[in-house]
Amino acid sequence: MHLSPVLFLNIGLMAMLIVVAIAVVRMRSLFAIVMLQGVYSLLSAVWFVSLDAVDVAFTEAAVGAGVSTVLMLGAMLLTDRDVKPIATKQKLGPLLVVIVTGVAMFYAIGDMPAYGDGMSPANAYIGAEYIEATKREIFLPNVVTAVLASYRGYDTFGETVVIFMAGLGVLLLLGLNGNAGQWRAKPNGRNIAKNVTPPRKHIEEAEEKPKVKKTRKAAKPRVRKKS
Amino acid sequence: MSSISHILPSWVLTHGPALLVVLPLLMAVLVALLPSKNTGAEKIAWMAVLSTAIICAFIAFGILGQVVSHGPVKYAMGGWEPPIGIGYYIDALSAPILLLITLIAVLCTLYALPSVVAEIEPKKRSPFYAAFLVSFAGLLGMVATGDAFNVFVFLEVSSLSTYVLVAMGASRDRRALTSAYKYLMMGSIGATFFVIGIGFLYMQTGTLNMMDIARILQDVGPDSRVVKLAFVFIVVGLGLKLAMFPLHTWLPGAYAYAPSFVTAFLAATATKAALYLLLRFGFTVFDPSWTFISKFFMYLLAGAGILGMLIASLQAIFQNDIRRVLAFSSVAQVGYMLLGIGMTTTLGLTAGYLHMLNHAMMKGALFLAVGAFWYRFGITQVSDMRGLGKTMPLTMAGFTIAGLSLIGVPGTAGFVSKLALVRAAAENGWWWAVGVIVVTSILAIIYIGRLIEQAYFQPAPKQGAATVAKNEAPMIMLIPLWILALSALVFGIDAEWTTGLAEAAAHVLEGGPILNTPPLSGGH
Amino acid sequence: MNPHVILRVVAKMLIPLIALFAFYVQFHGDFGPGGGFQAGVIFASSIILYALIFGMAAAKKAMPPSWVRIGMSLGVLLYGGTGVATWLLGGNFLDYTRFAPESTHAAGQHWGIFSVELGVLCTVACAMLAIFYAFGSRVQDLSDEDW
Repeated sequence: MHLSPVLFLNIGLMAMLIVVAIAVVRMRSLFAIVMLQGVYSLLSAVWFVSLDAVDVAFTEAAVGAGVSTVLMLGAMLLTDRDVKPIATKQKLGPLLVVIVTGVAMFYAIGDMPAYGDGMSPANAYIGAEYIEATKREIFLPNVVTAVLASYRGYDTFGETVVIFMAGLGVLLLLGLNGNAGQWRAKPNGRNIAKNVTPPRKHIEEAEEKPKVKKTRKAAKPRVRKKS
Repeated sequence: MSSISHILPSWVLTHGPALLVVLPLLMAVLVALLPSKNTGAEKIAWMAVLSTAIICAFIAFGILGQVVSHGPVKYAMGGWEPPIGIGYYIDALSAPILLLITLIAVLCTLYALPSVVAEIEPKKRSPFYAAFLVSFAGLLGMVATGDAFNVFVFLEVSSLSTYVLVAMGASRDRRALTSAYKYLMMGSIGATFFVIGIGFLYMQTGTLNMMDIARILQDVGPDSRVVKLAFVFIVVGLGLKLAMFPLHTWLPGAYAYAPSFVTAFLAATATKAALYLLLRFGFTVFDPSWTFISKFFMYLLAGAGILGMLIASLQAIFQNDIRRVLAFSSVAQVGYMLLGIGMTTTLGLTAGYLHMLNHAMMKGALFLAVGAFWYRFGITQVSDMRGLGKTMPLTMAGFTIAGLSLIGVPGTAGFVSKLALVRAAAENGWWWAVGVIVVTSILAIIYIGRLIEQAYFQPAPKQGAATVAKNEAPMIMLIPLWILALSALVFGIDAEWTTGLAEAAAHVLEGGPILNTPPLSGGH
Repeated sequence: MNPHVILRVVAKMLIPLIALFAFYVQFHGDFGPGGGFQAGVIFASSIILYALIFGMAAAKKAMPPSWVRIGMSLGVLLYGGTGVATWLLGGNFLDYTRFAPESTHAAGQHWGIFSVELGVLCTVACAMLAIFYAFGSRVQDLSDEDW
C-alpha cells in the first residue's frame, strides 16, 4: 500500500476518535462527556474533510461540534452532573448487540468495493450521472447543492419537515418559555376509577410543582433515563 | 370505486401521489401557525385536520381505483425521472394501505375533538394537531414512495412526530414520558439500522430507486455479503418499527400512555406501514427466491411470529391496564401477520395481508372504545370496567363486537383472516402452526373475555349511595367507533372486497422483484 | 462590574461576523460547500452565543420566541410553497424548470434552489433556536460557584 501522509493522518484521526469514544463511555462526569462529544464531532469533521466530503464535514462541524454541544449542555443543566454507575448485568445486552453488529459489518468488508474505487457502483452509476447532468441541466459548480436541492429536493423537503417537527416537538413538550407540563388531563365525566393515584414517585413530582415556579420536572424523566 | 376516480379532477389524479403527502404536511405547518392563546384556534385546527384527512381519503380512493384498473401509479418528484430523481410508485400492494391510513385518520380525527379537549392542554392543542398531521403525512410518504432513501426520510418524519404525540399523554399519566423516551431510543436504533441497510444497498448498486435496486440486484446475485448484510440490517430496522416479537418492548408502554386517539391511530396504522415496508423490501426489492431470504422468511419470520403469538398473548392475560392488554394483543396479532408472510405461499401472503387490514379495523375500534371509557369515567384498569355494560352500553357494545372479531368468532372479520391463515398453514403442511393459531385464539378468548366479563357481569360501582349513572360517550366519539366495529362485522360477512385487495397484493408479492417495466396487471 | 468583560467585548465583535458568515454560506452554497442547513445552524449559533454571554432575556428581546415559532413554520411553507408554485405553473411538485422554461442556463433551477435553500435556512435557524430557548429557559440562573 502506498504510504502517503494522508494515510497517517487518517490513521491518527481514527485512533483519536476511538480514544475519545472510549473516554466518553468510561467517564462519569456529564459535563466532560458533553464536551468530549463535541471533540468527537470535530474530529469526525476533520476526518470527513480528509475523505473529501467537505459539505458533510461542514455540517458536522456546525451541528455536531457547535449547536448540539450547547443543546446537550442545556439539557445536562436540567438533569444531573454525574452519571450513575450502571450494573454490569444491564450492560451485557447492549454489548452483545454492538458486538454482533460490528462482526456482521466486518463479515461484509470482503465484498465491499475498495475505498475511492472509481468503478464502484456508488461512484460509477448515478453518482457519475449527477456530475455529468449537473453541468448540463443545472449549471451549478457545486454538485452537492444540485443533488440536495433539485434532483433529490423532495428528500430535503422531508428533512426540513423533520427539523420543523423537532422544533415543534420541543415546543409541545417544554414550551419556549420553559413553562409547559403543569396542566392535568381530566375525564369529561365523573372519575370512578379506584386506582386514580399514580405510583409514589409521580406523586412526589406532582407535589413539588407548585413550590418552585420553573421546575425541571418535564425534562427530567426524558433526559435522565439515559444514564 | 372507479366512480370516485371520475369525481376527482384529472389534475388531482395525476398529481395525487404527491398531493397525498404534501397536503397534510403544508396543512400541518399552517395549523402550527395558528395563535395558541385564542380558544377558537383549536376548532379551526381540528377542522383543518379533518378536511385534510377527508381530501386525502378521496385521493387514496382515486389512486386505488387507478391502480386496480390501470396498474401501478408513478410520479416523478421535481420532474426528474427516477433513478436520477425520487419517484413515487404505488401498486396493489401499497394502495390499500394508503386508503387504510387515510380512512383511519378521518375516523380518529372525528373522535379527537372531545378527546383532545379532555387530554391536551388548551394552548398546545393546535401544535398537537399539527404534529398529528405530520405523523399522518409521514406514514403516507413511507408507503407511497418508490425510493429507498425517501422511505427513511418519511420514516423519520412519522417517527419523530409519533414520539412527541406519545409523550403528550403526560398530562394524563406521567409514565407517558418514559414510554416515549423508550420508544424514541428503540425507534432511533431501528431507523439507524434501516438507513445503514440502505447505505449498504447503495454501496452495492449505486442507486436508491427501489426498482433500479431490484434490477441491479438481479445481476449482482445473492452471493454478495454486502447484499446479505443490507437485508439483515433493513429487516432488523423494520422489525423494531413493526414490533416484531423480541423487538416489541417499546410498544406496550407507548400504546398504554399515549393520548387516546393517538393510540387508536398508531395501533391501526403505524405498525401496518412498517409491515408494508418489510413486504416491499423482502419481496419486491430483494428476491424472495434467493435461498438466504426464503430461509429467513420460513424460519426467522414465521418463528418470530409464532413466538410473538404465544408469549404476547400470555402476557396480555396478566395485564391490569386495559390498553396494555390490547397492546400485547397487538404484538400477538403482528405475529399472525408474520406467520402468514413467512409461509410465502399465495394463501399465506393473502391471509397475512388480509389480517393486517382487518386488525387495523378491530384494534382501532377497541382503542377508541377504551379512550371513551377514560373520557367518561377515567377508567384505565381492567378492574374498573365493572358495570360498563350498563353505564356505557353503546360504547361497550362496539367494544364487544371488535373484541369478538379479535378472538375470531365466526361472522367477524377476524374469523375470515384467521380461517385464511389456518387454510394456508394446512396447505403448507404446517399443522403445528394451525395448533398455535387455535391455542392463541383460546388465549384471546381469555384476555378479551376478562374485559367483557367485567363490563357485563359485574355490578356498576357505587359512588356514595347510588350506583354510577349511565353516561354514554358523545355521538362524535361513538360514530367512528361504530363505523370501525361495524366494518369488522361487514367484512366478516362479506369479505369479497378485502379479500380481493389482499389477493391483488399477494399477486404483486408473488411476482417477485419489481423491475423497471412492471407488467400492467396490478389487480384483478 | 461584570467579571466577563473580555468575553463580552470579544463576543460583540464576533457575533456580527458569525451572522455574516452564515449568510455567506447560504448564498455561496451554489459555488462552494454549504447551503441552507449549515447556514441556519451558524446563524442560530450566533444568537446562541449572544444568549450565553448576555443572558437569555436579552436574546429573547433580540429574537422573540414568537418569531422563532413563526419562522420555523415559514421555512417549511417557503419550501413547500415553491413546490406548490411549480404545481400552479403546470409542472410536477418541485419541478423548478417551470419558473423559467425558456432559459438556456437553467435559471428556473437557480430560482427554485435559491428559494428552497432560503426555506431550509429559516426552518433550521428557528428550530435550533426553539430547542435552545426551550432548554435554556428552564435552567435557573447559575452562579459561578455552581461549577
